[in-house]
Amino acid sequence: MSVAGFIRDILPLLWSGIISGCLYGVGALGLVMVFKSSRVVNFSHGNLACLGAFVVYGFSSGSLLSLSWGSAVALALGIACAVAVVSYALIAPIVFKSDLASTIATLGVGLVLQGGVQLVFGADIVNLDLPVPRFSFSLGAVRVSSYDLAVLAVTIAIVAGLFVIIERTKLGVAFRAVSTNPFACEVCGLNLRSVHLFSWLAGAVLGLVAALLIVPTTFLSSTTVPSFMLQAFTAAVVGGFSSLPGAAVGGILVGIAMNLFSFYVSPEFMNTFLLGVILLTLNFFPNGLLERAIGGRV
Amino acid sequence: MAVSELAHGTKAGVSARNGNVDAARLSIFALVAALALLPLLAGGFLLYSLSLCFANALAVLSVSMLVRYGGEVSIGHSFFVALGAYAVAIVEHRLGLSIAVSLPLAVLLGAIAGFVFAFPSRRLSGIYLAVATMALALALPEILIGFEKFTGGFEGLYIAQDLIPGISKALQRYYVALVLLVVVCLALSHFRKSAQGLALLMAQAQPRAAEAMGITRSWARVSIFTLSAALASLAGAMTGFASSTVSPNSFTFFSGVFLLVGSVVSLNRLSLPAALVGGAFITLVPTYLAKAGDWVPILYGVALIVVTLAANAGDLRRFLPRRRGR
Repeated sequence: MSVAGFIRDILPLLWSGIISGCLYGVGALGLVMVFKSSRVVNFSHGNLACLGAFVVYGFSSGSLLSLSWGSAVALALGIACAVAVVSYALIAPIVFKSDLASTIATLGVGLVLQGGVQLVFGADIVNLDLPVPRFSFSLGAVRVSSYDLAVLAVTIAIVAGLFVIIERTKLGVAFRAVSTNPFACEVCGLNLRSVHLFSWLAGAVLGLVAALLIVPTTFLSSTTVPSFMLQAFTAAVVGGFSSLPGAAVGGILVGIAMNLFSFYVSPEFMNTFLLGVILLTLNFFPNGLLERAIGGRV
Repeated sequence: MAVSELAHGTKAGVSARNGNVDAARLSIFALVAALALLPLLAGGFLLYSLSLCFANALAVLSVSMLVRYGGEVSIGHSFFVALGAYAVAIVEHRLGLSIAVSLPLAVLLGAIAGFVFAFPSRRLSGIYLAVATMALALALPEILIGFEKFTGGFEGLYIAQDLIPGISKALQRYYVALVLLVVVCLALSHFRKSAQGLALLMAQAQPRAAEAMGITRSWARVSIFTLSAALASLAGAMTGFASSTVSPNSFTFFSGVFLLVGSVVSLNRLSLPAALVGGAFITLVPTYLAKAGDWVPILYGVALIVVTLAANAGDLRRFLPRRRGR
């Protein structure tokens, strides 16, 4: 392989890795928010996002209703938030008692959602596109499409919004406090439940956004979105699982690494590659790749 | 729980239960005897499903063992089950040897794989391991399909050789699985009282005290996962033997989750009846609800939530005054 050829390949690979990595990061942010506040690994994250994406499909394609894309998304957001509230309510009695039991219960929620999606929408594979005008232009060796720009814009908006909420609002201060020391917060009279609920709702919204943006690149079926969440989990692990910037950066790293792996090695062993990434990260950087770079804060 | 209590717990438990011990033992003996005599009455499909139940009960035990001794959740034990099943199939295809050779090999491979897998997360809290097992469960199907040369790809492989020549296939599957299940249950109850078992329990209940006695948490973590993976691989070898076939269809992402469902439904107990309940739940429900396939995950999910809540919520009133107080 010539150097010129390598450079011609590598730039588009890096670019598309960053784009899909943004979405893994958004998915991972949802997981990390839930974990930071309530110490629960939310295994229903992917299933809930999948349900949301299917709701958007069902209500906008005419298979259930034919609404506009925007109102279908609004409906899906409503449903996803409702499900998040219900699933938090289910594990609320045990959330302070056992992280492990609560984590198992989220698996149960995930199974129910999975079965529900299959019951209502079947096991078919469907397409769900973003309603953005199609155009693309070249930037050197990289081809930038409208989809890429939409993903970047949404990701930046979400990360900025989350940053403002967490750094500037009262809720954000409470969230940071709870993730640092829940006991002290309770002593000070802070309502842990409302902070938990905030993070679960934020997690549901982030998951749904990530799913809606990732689906146009592949297709939508009852299994693709939950397995897409493995990328989000990997991103969270690479970022240390309790660091929000870590999750975002981890997402981009995972996106780039996956692209390189699938181009140069094999596209058929993506999950195995992610497994390897998780195990290597846990062994050599148990607190995440960015531990030393940014410290433990937020 | 103090360390001394832990050790005392077993002794006191044994002596306190002394009166009931005979009744409990007798009923288990009766259960085993009934299962041993069942082939005289029943045949065909029931025996086949029951031998699968036994194999799955072994797999459920491996997950329960990890929860009990390690306090860890695994949703990827389907990987080790598949490892055992494919070890049996591949040994037969390549070397023409029966399960008599491949069963020990499967156990050994399971132990090695379990060790390699658990080692990286040895110092971390259980949730990291749970996330890693999720990746393991998702990686399994593509490994099985990707290494087509060995695994037979989508079609899988057949397992045809008998363990004991001259006995009918159905009876062999049934009795080999039953005997292994009983032996494993006996071994587990022995393990509970052994020094190693107590050491692992202590490392979980009182990590500092255990460390003072030279049992580090990371050692306990890795060794219990290794044992559990070896048992899962044994279960896989039995699953392959009992169903005479291995294919990626039986090892999807959800089969790992379902093993956890079986373990939770049996309250993570390590006794024979509990294992049978768990194994039967995950074997028979899909068989009898085959027409309502999509309801199976819903049913499992509900079972998972209900049992977890019921087992952990304890006194629900404790939860209420807390809110009123605020």
